[in-house]
Amino acid sequence: MRRLALIGLDCVDPALLQGLLPDLPTLSELVAGGTFSRLRSVDPPITIPAWMCMMTGKDPGELGVYGFRNRADRSYTALRVASSASFSAPAIWDSLGEKGLRSILIGVPGTYPARPIHGLLVSDFLAPGMDSDFAYPASLRDRVRSLVDEYRFDVRDFRKKGKEQVLEEACTMTRKRVELARALLADEKWDLFAMVEIAPDRVHHALWADHDPAHPRHDPRGPFRDGLRTYYQLLDKELASLLSDLPGGTQVLVVSDHGAQPLRGGIALNEWLLRKGYLALKEEPLTGARMEDLIKREKVDWPRTLAWGEGGYYGRVFLNVVGREPQGAIPPERYKALRQEIARGLEGIPDDEGRAIGTRVLLPEDLYREVNGIPPDLLVYFGDLSYRSIGSLGHAAVQTQGNDTGADEANHAPYGIFLAHPGVEGTGDRSLLDVKGYVLRHFDLKEEG
Amino acid sequence: MTERRPVPISEEVARAIETHLEDLGASSLEEAVEAILRERLRAAGHLPPYSPEEEKAVEEHLRALGYLD
Repeated sequence: MRRLALIGLDCVDPALLQGLLPDLPTLSELVAGGTFSRLRSVDPPITIPAWMCMMTGKDPGELGVYGFRNRADRSYTALRVASSASFSAPAIWDSLGEKGLRSILIGVPGTYPARPIHGLLVSDFLAPGMDSDFAYPASLRDRVRSLVDEYRFDVRDFRKKGKEQVLEEACTMTRKRVELARALLADEKWDLFAMVEIAPDRVHHALWADHDPAHPRHDPRGPFRDGLRTYYQLLDKELASLLSDLPGGTQVLVVSDHGAQPLRGGIALNEWLLRKGYLALKEEPLTGARMEDLIKREKVDWPRTLAWGEGGYYGRVFLNVVGREPQGAIPPERYKALRQEIARGLEGIPDDEGRAIGTRVLLPEDLYREVNGIPPDLLVYFGDLSYRSIGSLGHAAVQTQGNDTGADEANHAPYGIFLAHPGVEGTGDRSLLDVKGYVLRHFDLKEEG
Repeated sequence: MTERRPVPISEEVARAIETHLEDLGASSLEEAVEAILRERLRAAGHLPPYSPEEEKAVEEHLRALGYLD
């Protein structure tokens, strides 16, 4: 049985990669001798849930996971960080394990805390530290410490660091991840190796404007204009060493969970809901007041509130429905019409000069094969994700120039990459949800269900 | 995970664990017992993935990264 190495690169964008290929000999060679196409992410195209959608072949609705935090119940305060416990559908490695095939997993988002698998697992950047349950088996924790000096799950204090430090930390993190991978691959039996490197995403958010002439804040003479390229060259070199360790005939897949694009500004979601009378507060919010804090401090006038939202790379709107939410204000018979009314209003929000920005508002039941858990009533892609959803309140205008959680230069885009070497059947765009099926077929296994 | 409480287990179970440490993916009796119990508790939903302090720290990290507002 030929082995398969799945190398995940968070946020790698197909157009960006193609532009950089002349400087990336390893990835160029894979593209030249393999199959390269765009990979359509899920909605929302966000790290969680996208990687676990890829690994399980299930969409966010089927998994009941719509983002990093999800409503645990219909109360207003029960938001829980997604973890491995949030994903009950069998992942690729579960299906392989049932057939006695061993996996080595490193850094796959959605695998903390580490659960038993047939093989080894070092979980992802949601691990709270090196003393946590980040590894399976438990003895692997000490081994990681001894194999790699100061292993890194992520860039710490991301917004507090300058661009130079983010770049330096991203490079260090990638080197250490590959160092760990090479050590485990050399010592262990395996059939599937799956590793996700989160660093490209961090570099994009910190340095996209420096790289991309299409970014509104691009400075062609800026000191970091080559920063993104520098990171990719380091990544390419590390991939070369990793790939050189793989046994001959190993099928290599290089994939990403979503792409990236310039972040042009922000739309203050709750500010808009407040101004339009959909959200009611008991007192005037201070500048930059966080919605979550206002809810916890009981400053929301729930009986007069029809909808509230959450910010992030995409917007989530929740409706306050009688009989569903604790202090619901919308009679169930008005739900659909009001939801449409809010959706149309959000789609019509212009930029700060009155120009249309192409916002898309999506409904869970239109996106997913099943809708489990508690989805947002509306998913909002401001400017088709070129604008951030600003959740805080107290802003002078609905349109904001920046991000309320710190400087940010990129947002996510719906297409990531699919690169297979040797090449595989098929041409044209592929779906992230088909990756699991492809891997199972490689091992002559059928997809469940 | 730093505070510990001693819990006696039977000699029979302790020996069985020590005999199969490698199979259990542990390097000591204590590590094996902790791992087995954690897995059982997590599977049953009796042990949350994060302590309240850990969850707060993870949320702050996600906020700093821009995933949360």
